[in-house]
Amino acid sequence: MANVEQRVIAVTARVLRVDPQEIKPEQAFASDLGAESVQSVELVAMFEEEFGIEMDEDSALSVQTVGDAVRYITQVCHEQDVEV
Amino acid sequence: MTNVTKSYPLVDATAPNLIEETFDYSLPPRIRFDGPIVEYVDGQPVQFDPRELANRDIFITDTTFRDGQQARPPYTIDQMVRIYDYLGQLGGPRGVIRQTEFFLYTHNDRETLDRCRALGHKYPECTGWIRADKGDFRLVQQAGLKETGVLTSCSDYHIFHKLKFSSRRQCLDSYCAIVDEAFAHGVRPRCHLEDVTRADIDGFVLPYVERLMRMSEQVPEHLSAKIRLCDTMGFGLSFPGAELPRSIPKLIYKLNRELGVPGARLEWHGHNDFHKVHINGATAWLYGCDALNTTLFSTRERTGNPPLEGAIIEYIALRGELCGIRTAVITELADYMRSIGVPIPDNYPFVGRAFNTTRAGIHAGGLRQDERIYNIFDTAQLLGRPPRVAITDKSGADGVAHWVNEYFGLKGDQRISKIKMHKVARWVLDQYEQEHRMSAITDEELEAKVRELMPEHWAKHKGHAGSPA
Repeated sequence: MANVEQRVIAVTARVLRVDPQEIKPEQAFASDLGAESVQSVELVAMFEEEFGIEMDEDSALSVQTVGDAVRYITQVCHEQDVEV
Repeated sequence: MTNVTKSYPLVDATAPNLIEETFDYSLPPRIRFDGPIVEYVDGQPVQFDPRELANRDIFITDTTFRDGQQARPPYTIDQMVRIYDYLGQLGGPRGVIRQTEFFLYTHNDRETLDRCRALGHKYPECTGWIRADKGDFRLVQQAGLKETGVLTSCSDYHIFHKLKFSSRRQCLDSYCAIVDEAFAHGVRPRCHLEDVTRADIDGFVLPYVERLMRMSEQVPEHLSAKIRLCDTMGFGLSFPGAELPRSIPKLIYKLNRELGVPGARLEWHGHNDFHKVHINGATAWLYGCDALNTTLFSTRERTGNPPLEGAIIEYIALRGELCGIRTAVITELADYMRSIGVPIPDNYPFVGRAFNTTRAGIHAGGLRQDERIYNIFDTAQLLGRPPRVAITDKSGADGVAHWVNEYFGLKGDQRISKIKMHKVARWVLDQYEQEHRMSAITDEELEAKVRELMPEHWAKHKGHAGSPA
């Protein structure tokens, strides 16, 4: 089964329509990967769906990079007893 | 290089200062003054203390049925009675809307007057309007009115070119004869000084008003002449330092303080030919004129009179309390006026369909966090009109979230996160990016999409998800 980072990258690639091979943990969703306002919201919604979690809107939308998203989602999964 | 005369260090803070003594969200923002205004009249400084406004009995008068009706096909009797009833409710028991004036010439005019008075409102008091014709006082007397407006034009444009008097003295004597006739009939004359902002103030206006004051000393107080200052072409100026005859401060000073016309007998009637109509009216209040003459939604030929609803909001802002005014009636009146064909532009303050609607996503984001950021006051409470967001390509997810939450009537913690609305936000964006749409999304379209793309929320807040559209 893919780990959290692989799943985050897969979702990001699908929503932003970029090659998953080009997505790196240090990249920022907006400035490096081109996520626009509505796409940022779609990303959070798709992460929630992918991991079966509920995220706080403001906290989730303040996450800047792919690596930060991996850490934040891992933390939320633990808090909500979701196995990853 | 400009000399720096003072330095302002940052006053750091970790909590916001929302200046709530002025911006109390439950009311229109207060108009507060911190000192007197100095105006130079005839080269001498004179002071006006606007803080006295809080203690003066300033009020609003209405001419929707007279001047306002000259702009349009006549209202029906039923329409006028309905509007009068609304005015009574709006102005409240303290008579903030103190008077409204009627034509008296036709059977319909008189029936309207009778039916309005039969409603039993103490305010607004019904007054008349007649031409400067002695015979017309019979109409006023027969109608049982205590006061009537009388047209007494003041500028030489009117005196010589319109009314064809051969001299100012002949004109003044003619006007005074009419006023005498009013006194004789037991009717208070309200002398409408037409075109006063284009008149010779020292040469005609002041001598005329001085004579009216002397005549009024000979009759009981309730008959003493009132003075309506008619800025017929909208030439009046509010700026300190402006010259007569256009200066509103100087004009009121001369009548009020030099000739002793009490503020309660001074009324300002403006026109909007230069976009100054509302502020000129408020300026008249400020400098000593107690009555501000208005029409609902500024209806009038050409560019309009001071808007009554604007004067209401100004009144509350100056007073700092509602004073018995029922502000929600403003919205009811606007809905009614639209229903009888009176056009009100979408961006018209306080009542236009879009007056508190934002289209920018960044503003919608502010509204979503705290509606005070982009709403002028609590428009939901005072006008029954919560702030809204019109959905376009600029609205973003914040705009969609604001629209949806308002649509479902959700506040505070009940509000749905914009994350849950991503499909609706995507549909909106695709309308512009994929479909190349050029118009705003209508409420009906968005309602249908919310129902389709957020069925669980629809079911929870609007009924059963499976029910037919």
